[in-house]
Amino acid sequence: MPLRLLKYGLSRDYPVSGDIPATPDLKPSYDVVIVGGGGHGLACAHHLSKYHGISSVAVIEKGYLAGGNTARNTTTIRSNYITPEGIAFYKEAVELFEGLSQELDFNVMFSQRGQLTLAHTEATLRSFHSRAEMGKHLGTRTEVVDQKMVEELVPSLNMDYGGALEILGGLWHEDGGTARHDAVAWGYAAQASRRGVEIHQRTEVEGFEVVGDRVQSVKTSRGRIACGQVLIATGGMNYDVALMAGVELPIRCYPLQAMVTQPLKPWLHTLVSSVSLHTYLVQSSRGEIVIGGGSDPYQLYSTRSTLDMKEHLAEGAVHLFPFLQGVRLLRQWAGITDMTPDYSPIMGASPLQNLWLDCGWGTWGFKATPVAGKRMAETIAKGRVPDLLKPFALERFETFRLLNEMGATAASH
Amino acid sequence: MKILTCPMNGPRNIDEFQSFGPVRAEPDPDRTADADWSRHLFRAENRKGIVVEWWRHVPSNYFFLAERDLVTNEVLRTFDASERWAHP
Amino acid sequence: MNRLAEPWGNRIDRTRSVRFTFEGRNFEGFAGDSIASALAASGQWVLSRSFKYHRPRGILSMTGADANTLVQLPFEPNVAADRTPISEGLSVSAQNVNGTLERDRDAIMDRLGRFLPVGFYYRTFMGPRRDSWLKFWEPMIRRKAGLGVVDTTAPRRHFDKTHLHCDILVVGAGPAGLNAAIAAAEAGADVVLCDENPEIGGSLTYGRHDPALLADLSSKLEALPNLRLLTGTVCNGWYEDNWLPLIQGNRLFRTRARAVILATGSIEQPAIFRNNDLPGIMLGGAAQRLIRHYAVRPGQMAVVLATGDEGYGVALDLVEAGVSVALVADPRSGGEPGLFEAELHGKGVAIRKAATIEAAEGTAGNRHLARVRVGGRWIACDLLAVSAGEVPAWQLPCQAGAKVGYDAAVGTMTLSLPPSPVHLAGSVAADGHLQDAMADGRRAAAAALSRLGHAVAEDRILPRPAVAGPIHVLPIVPHQKGRDFVDFDEDLQVKDLQNAVKEGYREIELVKRFTTVGMGPSQGRHSALATSRIVAEATNRTVAEVGVTTARPPVGPETLGVLAGHHEPLERRTALHARHLALNAMMKPVGAWWRPYFYGDAGAAEKMIRDEITTVRQGVGLLDVSTLGKLELRGPDAGEFLDRLYTMAHANQPVGRVRYCLMLNEMGSVVDDGVAYRMADDRFYVTATTGAVARVYADMLFWNAQWRLRVDVLNLSGAFSGLNVTGPKARAVLEALDSDIDFGREAFPYLSGREGVAAGVPVRVMRIGFTGELSYELHCPSSLAPALWDAVTIAGEPHGLKPYGLEASRILRLEKGHILIGQDTDAITTPDELGFGWAVSKKKPFFVGKRSIEMRARLGQSRQLVGLRFPADARDLPGESCLVLRGNHPVGQVTSIGFSPTLGCTIGLAYVHKDDAVEGRLVTVKCRNGNLVEVPVVGHAFFDPANARQEM
Repeated sequence: MPLRLLKYGLSRDYPVSGDIPATPDLKPSYDVVIVGGGGHGLACAHHLSKYHGISSVAVIEKGYLAGGNTARNTTTIRSNYITPEGIAFYKEAVELFEGLSQELDFNVMFSQRGQLTLAHTEATLRSFHSRAEMGKHLGTRTEVVDQKMVEELVPSLNMDYGGALEILGGLWHEDGGTARHDAVAWGYAAQASRRGVEIHQRTEVEGFEVVGDRVQSVKTSRGRIACGQVLIATGGMNYDVALMAGVELPIRCYPLQAMVTQPLKPWLHTLVSSVSLHTYLVQSSRGEIVIGGGSDPYQLYSTRSTLDMKEHLAEGAVHLFPFLQGVRLLRQWAGITDMTPDYSPIMGASPLQNLWLDCGWGTWGFKATPVAGKRMAETIAKGRVPDLLKPFALERFETFRLLNEMGATAASH
Repeated sequence: MKILTCPMNGPRNIDEFQSFGPVRAEPDPDRTADADWSRHLFRAENRKGIVVEWWRHVPSNYFFLAERDLVTNEVLRTFDASERWAHP
Repeated sequence: MNRLAEPWGNRIDRTRSVRFTFEGRNFEGFAGDSIASALAASGQWVLSRSFKYHRPRGILSMTGADANTLVQLPFEPNVAADRTPISEGLSVSAQNVNGTLERDRDAIMDRLGRFLPVGFYYRTFMGPRRDSWLKFWEPMIRRKAGLGVVDTTAPRRHFDKTHLHCDILVVGAGPAGLNAAIAAAEAGADVVLCDENPEIGGSLTYGRHDPALLADLSSKLEALPNLRLLTGTVCNGWYEDNWLPLIQGNRLFRTRARAVILATGSIEQPAIFRNNDLPGIMLGGAAQRLIRHYAVRPGQMAVVLATGDEGYGVALDLVEAGVSVALVADPRSGGEPGLFEAELHGKGVAIRKAATIEAAEGTAGNRHLARVRVGGRWIACDLLAVSAGEVPAWQLPCQAGAKVGYDAAVGTMTLSLPPSPVHLAGSVAADGHLQDAMADGRRAAAAALSRLGHAVAEDRILPRPAVAGPIHVLPIVPHQKGRDFVDFDEDLQVKDLQNAVKEGYREIELVKRFTTVGMGPSQGRHSALATSRIVAEATNRTVAEVGVTTARPPVGPETLGVLAGHHEPLERRTALHARHLALNAMMKPVGAWWRPYFYGDAGAAEKMIRDEITTVRQGVGLLDVSTLGKLELRGPDAGEFLDRLYTMAHANQPVGRVRYCLMLNEMGSVVDDGVAYRMADDRFYVTATTGAVARVYADMLFWNAQWRLRVDVLNLSGAFSGLNVTGPKARAVLEALDSDIDFGREAFPYLSGREGVAAGVPVRVMRIGFTGELSYELHCPSSLAPALWDAVTIAGEPHGLKPYGLEASRILRLEKGHILIGQDTDAITTPDELGFGWAVSKKKPFFVGKRSIEMRARLGQSRQLVGLRFPADARDLPGESCLVLRGNHPVGQVTSIGFSPTLGCTIGLAYVHKDDAVEGRLVTVKCRNGNLVEVPVVGHAFFDPANARQEM
């Protein structure tokens, strides 16, 4: 038994760590106001306070801590993207996840069990080769595997469909994994608040006072606060919040649904996803099978679930693993994704001098949490966008420097 | 399953329809500055509230318009495109 | 044996014995028994071990709603033993057991509990190395986590789906639901009534009620032909616009109701005290169900915890079933005597007011309840029936928009639903008594009918009268040493929730996430109210302020099988499929289509494909191109329409001519190509790529919904088939056909089209050349395609005509440098990047994408698609998608590559840096093995760049 647990067993009273302080009163001003108390905002607060000596930071959260997409995603972490810019960015994310539990002294359970994406068509296989070649060149562990290797990696997979959905091969991404999403946010929150960052839950941003090209203050449901710098990191609400500052982002919101089964003893080691079936599965360390797929087919700001999506995901899951017919589904839910035209995030400067963007995360925000936090903190602290983030600038939509990630993420997240 | 009322075919399950997104302004390409043109291409209506949007009833290939609330998902009304676009 | 005599046991058939096994031991029950009741009848009370502490667990609710009774069947994990009937030979085993159910080695966890506080796994298991979690700790935890086991060899079972439509769906056939359904059907509505139990009646089947009541309702129901009853059917969710999944066995009814009445009743809550999870401690309703449904005596010596009349009724039931009742403990003090108090007194049962259960103790290993403590005094008993209050079954109402409140005065959760086509009836809405519930059912029916436009007397649809429910403040008696479980599924105790709050997880959703309360199989059914109360107290807020966590679908666990249903992947075959098979084609799926990859010996693919290429280059080949998209545009504005949609000019295209057409999206990226054949002034026949045609067709209609041009678009992709006859001898073959078309060089030049009849088949023929050879593409109605194929085959025989497949076709087009949209283009490819300036009209004032490609040209082009020709003796050859490097930086990728038998070397298409797109320039390509090769840039058209052959 790890020694740490002795503390609990041998103390008379429960030794409180105090991960998340109660919401304090708002101060009149902060050096940095972070709108959005999700993983990204909290990670940025952590990096500002620990590495840049900026602890006059308020994290403003409308609901409860990390209750938006941080709480609703299916926790996949991977770097097998298409573009060199995307791969380089997510590669750093994976590297940060590898040391995150130690960094935060909070077990985020990063479980690098590998991700296997299946190809049922030659076109998909071709795109896998493309991702593998780019990924290998940039130093990630990504390779195309044949049918035999697919069977070895996931012996319980149903290879024998015949017909149009035969598995032709896969993209094996050994760097892929999962982490406990809540723990990532809580770990950052605990660290940041220990260094003086204030976390204000149940505090809603109602507007920005913009004078010239600067945000002067942030209007919240609990009062007005003056700000040095402002970061918008509100996931599904990014479009809405940025608009309050007069910044119109190229974002559309779509619900993204997922579901989970009852806990089972371990049988699925790797993450498995299928591009053609728009379905992916992963078994959590609790034993549940988490099943997800693509976004809803039309714009909506709602976290309602649909029966149709549930049937579709079940169809995909049973197709890949027919023996799951008898396994029971426990819960379904949804988050709101902020999709950009090129399926890539928007990070960096806004048209306002002191307003910074951490937006457009669509279906791939969780996996970027540590790197977005680290690099946005650097951006805010130095007032300069680092090279790693430059390709993700908002202006790319005016200069047609789009990131060519379209069509890649359908069912991989 | 949500119901969408097609102006031609009546109320049908929404899986018979395909969304074509909010109606967009139609700037004159020849009189629009580059910045406004890229804005036209990449910014879509996404405000919380009611949007007017295009839908296609797939089996009948009929395109029509709907007013829908992006927050509640309530469809206020659906109507034929001739209400907005007259024949030339 | 704990089996009671008749008349107890309204679900079992004592004439039919059923044998089954549990944990390898033989058991026998009656038909109609659930697994749990049959085991209980034989004295087997322990059914499972708990999630974390591996404590023995048994019957709790008998409603299939808790983790206590989850067992393993051979092909199905996590099956509710208290709901699943036994069947002959069924093999049942316990879950989450290390060793045996009786002697579980992991029971030691119960003693280590204090070292494993809530959320302990966040605080440790991180070292000593960075990957220790992955390599060591996680595998250990994963082995311990999880309940049932999946059998990866389980055979595929049949599930199906069907649809159901009705005016009014009534969920729950208890007293309220029955009354609602009958009233609605009597008014003429088309009604569906569903209930998860095998029979109607709900509490009428197990509570202390006059049997005549149910008999009366039952006969009324049977007399109504417009009332469809579905028993054994669970309504597992409410979705937008009254779309509800009803699950009956392996069948899913996707149900659309105009109105819904939810009469889902309420959920009894366990009381909280030390060791409240011991087998032998069960809810009052569970004891009653065991007695009345299954004729099982729930114990010998009982204590009853009662906070209302129901509890006293349970005590009376126990007495009547021959159980000694040592005490009825009632936490309420004073007040009027309850309904059954006098009767109980008369039977000599002691009643103690202002008293609750303070703790319980078990037999050795906590295998069964041994005694409970009331008022400091221990009372020996083997049964504690807890009748301490209930909460409305809030899941379905909340999915339909109801809000949860809390009535602090009476200690219960309340539900309020705004006016909508969903109505609540009975105890889900108000904690009333039986007569209230029946009347409430009729009231709900009247409200639903009125909403549907039925004439209903005003007084029938009055708002629900306020019913003063009995006071049911759920007893929560925390114990210093814990084991006072709030959530049985997750083994969570009062202090776990309190400690979570101390750590800062103060919001109910955070408490849930940090402790996992409510996340187990029962999804908070038995823990939501207690959790809310404990958190409210710990954070100095009211229960209403704290709230409960969101009730997400499904209501109860549902199998993936029933959701997935019976599903066959869609696949498409061309009209010539049988011809290909007869010719021994190697068929491959391409998208949804089956296509011949090549013909002949599967073991000699390479040779077969090369022979096919040679045949086309030297003789004549025949390709099935039926999967192509085929669109017909008709109307006076058809030419203008194509002008706006494609980059080339079509309005001025002469009748009888064929033109290439290239489609861009608004961003200026290439999205499709094909050819347009003008058949008449007002008629075009346009092809699109196989994968894109659905989108192209939709986009055409979409644009015209705005442009409003006088043109109709028809998608003939399935209705028409296509045959490509190509090669130097193609003309000779076609001239041998009986046809009114002159295939001669002058009469039918390159890039023209003709309509006519060939071999008795109406055809439209286009001279186009994907292969670079003399080619005729013959399109005809699909039903006649086999006849045309046969005629061409016969006509071609003297000329050595052979069919060729997809792979040969790909190489042929690559030799000619033709691009494949989607393979050689991506989402941002412009015509300039392809060198397709020739295909873009400079004169037209408008076409889709024009403005954007002009702007993109000004902003500068970074890459260019070029041909690469590898030396015949190259040692390393790249594959598709290999990187083109400049310095060490990727600037492009190889999009197509293959060996050209015609040229005797490997050729490919690749994106290179714009500045390198110069014939003869060497570019660096990284092979899959990592080796770098230098290869010269050449033009696209590797073969016959002057186009002499296709135009001959």
